Amino acid sequence: MVSRKESLDAAMPMQATVFFQGGTLVLQHSDDIDDVPVPFRFVKSRWRCEAYHYHEVLPWMQEQGIHNAIPRWQRLGLTLHDTRELHDYQIQALDAWKQASGRGSVVLPTGAGKSLLATHAILHVNSSAVIIVPTMSLVYQWYALLTNAFQTEIGVYYSGEKRVLPLTVTTYHSAGDLIAEYGNTFKLLICDEEHHLPAKTWGEAALMAPAPFRLGLTATYPEEHEQIGERWRLDELIGPIVYTQRLETLVGKQLAAYRTQRVRVDLTHEERASYDAAYAIYTGFVRERGLRQKHGAGWLRALMRLSTSDPQARRAWLARRQLLNLLESCQGKLAALETLLHEHAGERILVFTESNAVAYTIARKYLVPVISHETGVAERKQILDAFQAGQYQVIVTSKVLNEGVDVPEAKVAIVLGGGASKREYLQRLGRILRKKEPLQAVLIEVLVRNTIEEGKVQRRNVPRENC
Amino acid sequence: MLTSDLIKPRLRMQGSTLSVEMVNEQDPSLQQIAQDVIGLFHRYRDQAQAAWEEAMRAYEGASVDYVLIRGLAKVLADAATFTPLTTPLPPATLREQVFARGPVFGNPDLFHTVTRQEVLQEVADVYGLSTGGLDEMLFADRRASYLLTDAGPAWTPSALLARYNLELARGALYWASHITIEVASNYKDLWKYIKLFKLMFWAEPKQGGGYRIDLDGPISPFVSSTLRYGRQFAAFLPALFLCERWQMRAYVHPPQGRGAMLYQLDHTSSLHSHFKRSGEFDSRLEADFASEFEQKIGSKRGHWHLTRESEVLLLGNTVMVPDFVLIDTEDENRRIMIELVGFWHPQYLRRKVEKVRAANCAHLLLLVYEGLNITEEAFQDTAGEVIFFKQKPVLKEVMRTVEEMAERVYGPRRKPERSSNKRRTSKRSRVRTYLLGPE
Repeated sequence: MVSRKESLDAAMPMQATVFFQGGTLVLQHSDDIDDVPVPFRFVKSRWRCEAYHYHEVLPWMQEQGIHNAIPRWQRLGLTLHDTRELHDYQIQALDAWKQASGRGSVVLPTGAGKSLLATHAILHVNSSAVIIVPTMSLVYQWYALLTNAFQTEIGVYYSGEKRVLPLTVTTYHSAGDLIAEYGNTFKLLICDEEHHLPAKTWGEAALMAPAPFRLGLTATYPEEHEQIGERWRLDELIGPIVYTQRLETLVGKQLAAYRTQRVRVDLTHEERASYDAAYAIYTGFVRERGLRQKHGAGWLRALMRLSTSDPQARRAWLARRQLLNLLESCQGKLAALETLLHEHAGERILVFTESNAVAYTIARKYLVPVISHETGVAERKQILDAFQAGQYQVIVTSKVLNEGVDVPEAKVAIVLGGGASKREYLQRLGRILRKKEPLQAVLIEVLVRNTIEEGKVQRRNVPRENC
Repeated sequence: MLTSDLIKPRLRMQGSTLSVEMVNEQDPSLQQIAQDVIGLFHRYRDQAQAAWEEAMRAYEGASVDYVLIRGLAKVLADAATFTPLTTPLPPATLREQVFARGPVFGNPDLFHTVTRQEVLQEVADVYGLSTGGLDEMLFADRRASYLLTDAGPAWTPSALLARYNLELARGALYWASHITIEVASNYKDLWKYIKLFKLMFWAEPKQGGGYRIDLDGPISPFVSSTLRYGRQFAAFLPALFLCERWQMRAYVHPPQGRGAMLYQLDHTSSLHSHFKRSGEFDSRLEADFASEFEQKIGSKRGHWHLTRESEVLLLGNTVMVPDFVLIDTEDENRRIMIELVGFWHPQYLRRKVEKVRAANCAHLLLLVYEGLNITEEAFQDTAGEVIFFKQKPVLKEVMRTVEEMAERVYGPRRKPERSSNKRRTSKRSRVRTYLLGPE
């Protein structure tokens, strides 16, 4: 029988130890140590420092014979299945990063293959790694990229799904919680779009991660004056800039020729009547109270605030909601959609809606896949892969496909939600523009005549000559 | 807990003071609303979450009280259970099958030779389903299609409003960077919850009893006013309402405010906790010890008074709350702490031994179950006394050791003069001890 006494004694080392706790390194049993070096501070009866100082205090710990209980990362036997070869500048960047002991930032223009470079960095370290990205779309994109590159299960950690694996992709928003709990299980930290790091809470995750290997990726490294928001600086958190390539023409983006087309539909008599009534209530209130003049760009928020106490404001708010619902799901639009689906039969089509509800209605009605913020990364990948492969003809999506997702096979984009901002509009255009071949692509916007939608289109002011 | 959009409209700021506008739990019109919402909720049992939400939107109508109504609905939904429809295959698999055949329309045409109905029929046949069933299952994994299978506790309108108020108070802490509490009772539960919600604390005994406790998280000292732990503070808050006398000061940075604001609560608040107070005794062993003491000694024989978990040993970043404290009724400065170490998991024991050593406390008596296979060596360098026992501690032996310890730690005991009023006696003897001073 194993003596309990023995295990008891073995588990009570009074040897000085540093361990990881919620994003900090904590020194325990330090009675025999005279000089504890600077990043450590004596806080609440223990010596502590932020975990990112790990690489800096490691030599001291070794010198002092302090037990290192921090690393919980694991070696991985990764092999790269991505056969794309690195460009010269990518090889140079990777070498420079390795030269710098695997700590530092690579500045490359958009579209220059930063994520491909990152997969090689992951391969180099070949240990558990975490990738932090700003948006959900990028979570998905990295998930797909890493799944394909390493042919292994990839973890994701964001509001919708939390699955921590040796290679995990997370958002800046959720990274703090992930790192507080699992920070010491990752040997490599990759910060995509790292120019977000100086922002208040977004830097915390990098600060809390002990990972000795760190890679920052960006096209726009923040200037000195942009880094003064918090007390940490990028070169402290990530390491120095190891490689910069600013040539915008590095990779010629092949853009397909495209055209836009507008389809105008009418409201039915009944719809028109409710539209006009709602419009009168809504704009009447906004004008009467002079909300736009008083609150400028924040007038909509002011209206919302008022609606918690002022019955008229509440009515105006509801009228606005009713009006937007009506515009999005009016009979004319749905009929136009059906006609367009018929017209473009056999082509790969993306349908953009403003709301989830309409996206799911369309999915059910025509039996086509839907991608919304509720769609998990695995299913999202399956849908986009099947779309690329031609098993799916149509994808309907609410706002989520707006950023950074390549759907090169899409030839037709139908936009039903008229509320898009100029930026969203351009991004939607971008979806169908990143072409492999110069296919002629078309973006079709369905608008309701004589409503606020037409005003929005004019305000957007996309240069016509491109169209 | 409520979402922040249901909290923000109820935050009130005045100078640098933050408050939350709570509702009057006795207001008949609010009680009516609560009653309506509860009734509506029960009517939607076994229906989809989306249907319930739709019903709530209809109920809320053009009311300006929608923040309250949605808050009540959220409290109900949080305490209820929504379960997904059971499907023979994962809905994602059904979707894959169906969508590979889309898009389809009501009527066939040249490019779409099958109709929606035919596609559903075809796939339904493969899995032995009805088309209606398949249609329903397609998105069964969306939260919106989950069914309300258990409506949770039987709420009364006042209980629901009271809980809503508590949730509002919690919500104010979403934006808190750190909180300070002063408290004089129920330490054990307090520490249990501090640990549970992974908060860090720093406690100092207060003059006149009780403790002042600073709460934040590991990274707080390094990132000034981080809001990382706001949710944890909010989760923890109800633990405070288990205490009798307390006050809390929270430093909150509300999104619409400018910088830190002070949010205060104390025991005069009408809020109450839904957390469970832990039972009086953790184990049979403790209960037996207490009852044996009461029977054989009690308040009549001897001069010791047995109290339960009334003191805290502060050990840096952890605490120890000994099971009992024996207080000399003739001199309240004379105190012996008793910790019972019964049959426990080795892991637990390891931590306990570490704590006892760290406490380095001469007036701590450990009663250790011998069957533990834990030898005296394990407790070798503890400052206090250890008594091993086989089945239960022998009270006589315990009391003898207590007397010896008290004498060693506090010096010889002075025989009290007889007095009819015990309180006064003990007060007088405390003064005497003071006059005598330490040896």
